[in-house]
Amino acid sequence: MNEQGFACPEFDQWRSTSRRRLIAAGLGAGVQFFDHARSALAQATFRAGHEGNVLVVVFLRGGADVLNIVAPYGEDAYYRARPTLALPSPVKRVTGRLIDLDGFFGLHPAMASLHPLYETGSACWIHACGSGDSTRSHFEAMSTMERGQADGVRGTASGWLARHIASTPARSGPMRSVAIGGTMPDSLAGAINAVAVQNLGEYRLASTDEGYHDVLAQLYSGNDEIAQSGNRALNALKILRESDPRQYKPEFGAAYGTGGIAQALKDVAYLVKHDVGLETACLESVGWDTHVAQGAATGWQASLLGELSDAISSFFRDLGPTSQRVTLVVQTEFGRRLEENSGFGTDHGHGGAMLVVGGGVRGGKVYGKWPGLVTDSLVGPGDLAVTTDYRNVLADLLEARLDSPSVDKVFPGLKRERTGIVQTLTGDLANKRSAI
Amino acid sequence: MSLTRREALVALGGAGAIALTGCAAPRRSLDARRAAVGDPDVQVLSRFGFGPTAEDLDRIKSIGQDTWFEEQLAAGHGEPFALQASLARLPIENLSAWELRDLPENEVLAQMQQAALLRATYSPWQVRERLVHFWSDHFNIYGRKGLAGYRKPEDERRVVRDHALGRFPDMLMASAHSTAMLLYLDQQASTSAHPNENYARELLELHSLGVDEGYTQRDVMEAARCFTGWTEERGFLKRQGSFKFDPALHDRGEKAVLGQRISAGGGKEDGERVVQIVAAHPATARHIGRKLARWYLGSTEQAPAVAKAFLQSGGDIKSTMKEVYRLYKSGLHAPVVKRPFDLAVSAIRALGIETGGGKDLQDHLRKMGQPLYQWPMPDGYPVDAEAWSGSLLARWNFALALTQGQIRDTKGLPGGIHDPADAVASVFGGSLTKGASENLAKVVAKVKDPKQMVALCISSPEFQWR
Repeated sequence: MNEQGFACPEFDQWRSTSRRRLIAAGLGAGVQFFDHARSALAQATFRAGHEGNVLVVVFLRGGADVLNIVAPYGEDAYYRARPTLALPSPVKRVTGRLIDLDGFFGLHPAMASLHPLYETGSACWIHACGSGDSTRSHFEAMSTMERGQADGVRGTASGWLARHIASTPARSGPMRSVAIGGTMPDSLAGAINAVAVQNLGEYRLASTDEGYHDVLAQLYSGNDEIAQSGNRALNALKILRESDPRQYKPEFGAAYGTGGIAQALKDVAYLVKHDVGLETACLESVGWDTHVAQGAATGWQASLLGELSDAISSFFRDLGPTSQRVTLVVQTEFGRRLEENSGFGTDHGHGGAMLVVGGGVRGGKVYGKWPGLVTDSLVGPGDLAVTTDYRNVLADLLEARLDSPSVDKVFPGLKRERTGIVQTLTGDLANKRSAI
Repeated sequence: MSLTRREALVALGGAGAIALTGCAAPRRSLDARRAAVGDPDVQVLSRFGFGPTAEDLDRIKSIGQDTWFEEQLAAGHGEPFALQASLARLPIENLSAWELRDLPENEVLAQMQQAALLRATYSPWQVRERLVHFWSDHFNIYGRKGLAGYRKPEDERRVVRDHALGRFPDMLMASAHSTAMLLYLDQQASTSAHPNENYARELLELHSLGVDEGYTQRDVMEAARCFTGWTEERGFLKRQGSFKFDPALHDRGEKAVLGQRISAGGGKEDGERVVQIVAAHPATARHIGRKLARWYLGSTEQAPAVAKAFLQSGGDIKSTMKEVYRLYKSGLHAPVVKRPFDLAVSAIRALGIETGGGKDLQDHLRKMGQPLYQWPMPDGYPVDAEAWSGSLLARWNFALALTQGQIRDTKGLPGGIHDPADAVASVFGGSLTKGASENLAKVVAKVKDPKQMVALCISSPEFQWR
């Protein structure tokens, strides 16, 4: 049975459109490589500035049902609204019960492999967060988030990551911003210096002739902008040629699955470990539009969650000590309705949740003001309210992890409120100073 | 010449590089490239058009550069028959936005790119064609915003092409009436109760005065009020999507824009008045002067002279272009980087390769970072070398695909290329000096396949500049 076949028609349409675009664009066979070239001096500044930190953004497309991922087992309304889908409280001695997070929320049991990261303080959740989108349309809601908007698709058409890159042009690496596993996401719209590949194997020169590479290197031995940038591109190509990403051996006993998100994270781990100047990586996971037969402790959503959880835990295991440089955030365009539908699934809702893992994270906590699930606190047709603007989470990460000088340019009009999920830069500096 | 050299350094934007390596190194490599410029006719064709074809080179050599430029500004309508025939086959060339609605968005965008590739490659009116790209960027519209893609062909005809060598105030007025632009900048959502400032802001900031040019947030708001009611037809059985002024949405109160009073009780003319005020404003001349100087002369150093010509002629584009050409001929210019579109077209023209401008070629434009009509921000694709220096791998792969005959409908490397000297000559024509040609030939001689030699010439840093 093709479980994803139950996604709503609108999502199928979105998928097929993006697939058509992919085919029309010939991306399957293609390579896209852009690098915002700057001087080596600027690059040195970049290194000193944020010490090669990397932000990995994973987008769950389709609107993940976060109420069954970080389930509010402490609230009766959750069980009343979901007679077949609700997951058993952690205190129940039954299989498939939730993993307790804080005495109120429980983690979906299929995500057990991720839980140690939470327990050791490297992972946190932000609940009831999202955008102001009220259309509950995949396309609109994704577009809103990838463009970093409060709501709607009006205003700027560029992506939030593209704006971040534009606001810090002096940091240059040949592969500063990479999208793996899909087309160029809207979050990078307007970033001509971003790479989009299905997998790293595609990032190569169409000639395998060594002599050809040598001649290019000789042609690009000059000092102007173009020559220097060509030189960096050739170095990146050399790294990828000499150490084939397809032969990459994960470390520290990590074993990646064969799924798309696992393989994409494996490519990111490769890039983090090889010095190509990676700063942001965009990945996606599809199939979260669980209208029918969503499953509970097992089934459709559980298998997606298992894959995601295993992929993330393998990724951080593989990174080992390097993981201090890497922060990963998981987002989705909206959460799903509280009440389960007649097809044992859930419909498009509003408030979602985000997961943040890795370096700098103040983990072991579920953040966010919980709006509650009683009727009065729900919004629209019975959906979780949004109490945290998703942009504040991303802004925290940009500021604390990537030294963003101007999140107000990345998220114009954002009412900035710090969520507390990451150690702030000033905090870090204060720590360093006190250490001295 | 020291002025030229300084400009060239500015164009290379290498403040960091200079600090790191000292002044000598970048200057040396730059001088080498500039010294490599040989045939001035090739250089003019490269600077004001998309590089030489054999025919264009013959033409400029027979009538001389100055006469050639005058002839180009007159830009007769005659296009070669083959170009006319290819364009006539494209629905976007003949149909209105309303009639195009049965085509998928991707198809509309593909046909527009095809038309652009065909015109740039085959039109003898090279000065006009390169100006069209300048104005299309100046009045940038993102073809993937709502229905903007369907309306862009008409915008490209009625706003950009009709006025590319005409008068700027007319072009600005035409753009203000373009529902592709109005939709792109949310003007149709603007009402007297809730004026949307997006169009008014970009009109001032990008289309006319330029950022930080003495207007205030208050001017933006007042201009937005003037444009309330400028919207599109939505009525049943009406020509939906065409321009419409809706008096019911218009703010009839008094306004003041840039110190000029617009009295109460006006209608559509309020917006027209704003266009007239900003079109004639000296800041607009300075802004366009800066942009044209950067586009053609590689730096803004001579922008005041261009602005003066613009202002004195009341925004006449031909007169302004004459001044740009005069400055160029005086040697007041720095290198200008080729954007991906320029690189592709100049390589195809230099080699005399036949192209249909189809989707394979467009795919290379996309990989190199410039799928036309798909720049999301209203400021148009960047022009600085820095922004584009990252697309090199994609450029190298384009060169390989082009020379290996792997781009469908863009094939046919000329015969007779047997050795490195042939390869260099085929790509650069006479534009390199003897010494530079010999050096390049010596380097590319390290590969054995003449096609790869040609690919390396297209990939060389020298060919990335005009």
